Amino acid sequence: MIQTLRRLVLLLLFIATNTSQVFSADDAKDEPVIDVVGTLADHDYFKAFGMKLYLPRILFWSDASGASQFGVYASTKSAIKSGDFVDQDHALVPADGGVVTFDMSITSHLIYFWFGMGSVVLLTIVASRRYRKGVGVYVAPKGPWQNIFEILFVFIRDEVARANIDKHKADRYVPYLFTVFMGIASMNLFGLLPWAATATADLTVTGTLALFTFFITQFSGTKDYWGHIFWFPGVPTGVKFLMIFVEVIGLFTKPFALAIRLFANMLSGKIMIIVVLGLIFIFAEAFGAVAGYGVSVISVALTATLYALKAFVALLQAYIFSLLSAVFIGMAAESHHHEGDEDHAMELSH
Amino acid sequence: MGLLAAGIGAGIVAIGAGIGIGMIGKAATESIARQPEASGDIRGAMILTAAFIEGVALLGAVICILLALNIQIG
Repeated sequence: MIQTLRRLVLLLLFIATNTSQVFSADDAKDEPVIDVVGTLADHDYFKAFGMKLYLPRILFWSDASGASQFGVYASTKSAIKSGDFVDQDHALVPADGGVVTFDMSITSHLIYFWFGMGSVVLLTIVASRRYRKGVGVYVAPKGPWQNIFEILFVFIRDEVARANIDKHKADRYVPYLFTVFMGIASMNLFGLLPWAATATADLTVTGTLALFTFFITQFSGTKDYWGHIFWFPGVPTGVKFLMIFVEVIGLFTKPFALAIRLFANMLSGKIMIIVVLGLIFIFAEAFGAVAGYGVSVISVALTATLYALKAFVALLQAYIFSLLSAVFIGMAAESHHHEGDEDHAMELSH
Repeated sequence: MGLLAAGIGAGIVAIGAGIGIGMIGKAATESIARQPEASGDIRGAMILTAAFIEGVALLGAVICILLALNIQIG
């Protein structure tokens, strides 16, 4: 069971980080009509308006003698040109027979992650400047951007944070939840651009976000929370020991499911659009150009519908991620002082 | 074989998730009809539960994709 789980995690990490390297090897043998995985994978270039901008590679590797090396190159090509690396199935391998230990290269998904987070920072700075001047505090908020900002912020504060986290502690977590919501929403919406990559369709990105939620949940855990994990109240002693395993596994499955949910949703949305559009070329290949034109009518209409659905899912998944983060934090930060409250109430009534 | 397994698996995943989300929808619409003033809370709980089911279904879908693409790991 545990081995199966480990294998699954390995598989998912593998597909998230290495797809371009794995599948380009197959492409050389027989070129597929539609390269589904190629469009989903992380790339070493940034593509916009039909132009490719190659991104720098930052690599740590250990050479043949075992000494660790560090190198920064302007692009994959210049890394090969410098003689330190050779191209092996589209993956960089040190020329002297060593192994790459740590790949810190800037990739297309990372660029879109920066775009997403950058837009949050920009929007927040602009809005906070307005509020400091008093617009929105003493008078009504001005302009569409500030109004949208206020709607979203109040929504996150009231419907997500205060609804799920203990009243006295909720406001402390609003900045994190708002950042996560806006960041994921803008990353998802950037992914709707035809040439863009969806940063959230990468398990490393969603995994990092889930890791933040995991750490915040653990650090805001109260005595009751840890008591529930290591000494479950109200069950026989033998079951208490069993519950430790269940609860400790539960600690890690929650953020894991959080990461998988966002990743799989964004990935499946992209795959669906590529597959539905790809039907045109598949039919054209199999039954001639006329069939291709015929299918394109249905395909394009269906893609337009899927696109609208994706725009909705982009916001919904951002909401679900922040909502579940708030629920998990709320469960950890909650303190069960029911008995104390009752005692207090009894004292008052006496 | 991998393709066949992926196809059958994706179908079963869709059946399971469909039943689950359908039951949530049924329960939610019934309770909104019974108590329209609580529709906001019910909608929130509905989305939350649907998200949990969706997460499990998508986990299955990802495995089906991996099977279909025939990814080997060492």
